[in-house]
Amino acid sequence: MTAIIEATGLSRRFGAVRAVDDVTFAVEEGSICGLLGRNGAGKTTLMNLVTGQDFASAGTVRVFGEDPVENARALTRLCFIKESQSYPDAYRGRHVLAMAPHFFPHFDAALAERLVADFGVPVDRMVKKMSRGQRSAIGAIVGIASRAELTLLDEPYAGLDAVARHIFYDRLLEDYAAHPRTIVLSTHLIDEAADLLDHVLVIHEGRLEIDADTEELRGTASTLVGRASDVEAFVAGREVLAREHIGGISSATVAGLGADDKARAASSGLEVTPVSLQQLIVRRTGGATRTEEAAS
Amino acid sequence: MTAIADTARPGALVPAGRRVWNVVRLHVANPWPALILPWIVLVSIHALTWSIWAIISHYAGPGIEEDAFRYAGGVSWLVIYMMIIAIQAMNAGFRFALGFSSTRRDYYLGTVTFFAIMAVVFGIGLGLLALLERATDGWGLDGSFYAPAYLYDAPFAVVAFHYFALYLLFTTMGAMIGALFVRWRANGLYLYFGALALAVVALVWWLLDAGWGPTADFFTTNPLAVVMAWTLPVSVSFAAVGWVVLRRAPARG
Repeated sequence: MTAIIEATGLSRRFGAVRAVDDVTFAVEEGSICGLLGRNGAGKTTLMNLVTGQDFASAGTVRVFGEDPVENARALTRLCFIKESQSYPDAYRGRHVLAMAPHFFPHFDAALAERLVADFGVPVDRMVKKMSRGQRSAIGAIVGIASRAELTLLDEPYAGLDAVARHIFYDRLLEDYAAHPRTIVLSTHLIDEAADLLDHVLVIHEGRLEIDADTEELRGTASTLVGRASDVEAFVAGREVLAREHIGGISSATVAGLGADDKARAASSGLEVTPVSLQQLIVRRTGGATRTEEAAS
Repeated sequence: MTAIADTARPGALVPAGRRVWNVVRLHVANPWPALILPWIVLVSIHALTWSIWAIISHYAGPGIEEDAFRYAGGVSWLVIYMMIIAIQAMNAGFRFALGFSSTRRDYYLGTVTFFAIMAVVFGIGLGLLALLERATDGWGLDGSFYAPAYLYDAPFAVVAFHYFALYLLFTTMGAMIGALFVRWRANGLYLYFGALALAVVALVWWLLDAGWGPTADFFTTNPLAVVMAWTLPVSVSFAAVGWVVLRRAPARG
């Protein structure tokens, strides 16, 4: 496996704000990597740095082994679709799709046409008069159909309804299976996208909090469900990340359960399930905020 | 600059010439605002001007002065319109092109190429309309719409070159203003208008002090083509400043 993106000590400051703060990571070729974090965590800034749209304050980033800034060799092989993408005033949807093949050499116009039908995008409408969801759909269509070796999607489905989002996941996975590529997907709808992701980068207040394979990350905690008394007895003395009670039934999310722990839990009548990625990340990033607030 | 050496090395999936040409195409994907609308508005203003001429000459009768309709300014809005088109092209076009994996360099080269092509198209187009104007005896009323005032006697080549140079001057200025906006948003515009105000004050100061004589000489002794040729280095300077500003502009927001 080779790294398609390599960032080392990457930082971007806006005045006193550290939008991206000393971030080091690598994205492997062929993976689908989730870039997760709360609003304003630095996801978009990080993607701007990776695609040469913004300039690093410190550190380096390499894409296909090269500095992406003003580098057509790297840029012509990637496609970056961002939620805030702006379009020329006079553009209708079809103008965007007519331009895309010129800029993205692997663009599949037939696929784009199918996706237009799937998403129901009114391509004859002025882009500036489209709803947020329709603009997002145009971006998603270009992102999928461009088949760039490296595709970065920044909140690609902002404003899309649940049905359209599922179309997006399905078509993206379908085309990814037929034409493997490296995908970086930023989102805060973590659980929805979780099944797609091989790898997870969690950024919080500009810093990289988690850099792990999805499976590995899920294994770091488990949720136990059972009678309240059984659950309490089992978790006594353990690190409990979350707790819920409904009637006599309790569930507790516990960190670091080994195989024998799980077996013991099962034998004492508890149901052991892998934790949801979203819960885990909410714990890690939400918790961090509180400790920092307490410290300051 | 290493950036320029990079284009010579092989490896980009789209060759350099095509990348620049793609940006030209991007500006005319919808040809309406830059290519079609200006001509429609121009012809409409022409029609309006012509009707006013017709009314005046009807009531003035045969005693009207022969140069009465020689100073129409209807064409001048075109250069202002094109400057606005240039500013818009820089603003939305820049972020769109970067979103489509262009480099800033390819974007700027393509955009300036687009302006240059447009300057040729409008220069020749307006020159041909001026010829038509003369062939029809000033649209039947001895009027000068496309070659008014100092262009009245100028040959086709001079009329065309005049519009070409004027167009280039205003679009490169628009490109520079657009670049300032893209780089520094509103602060860039404050900078531009501040600098413009200072330049105007300095110019007036100089004209009142010592410059009036040589300036008047420059415009009266030089033929029109030479005066217009002097705008070319100014246009090149605008374009150069635009590039210096844009090459470090982020594609935010």
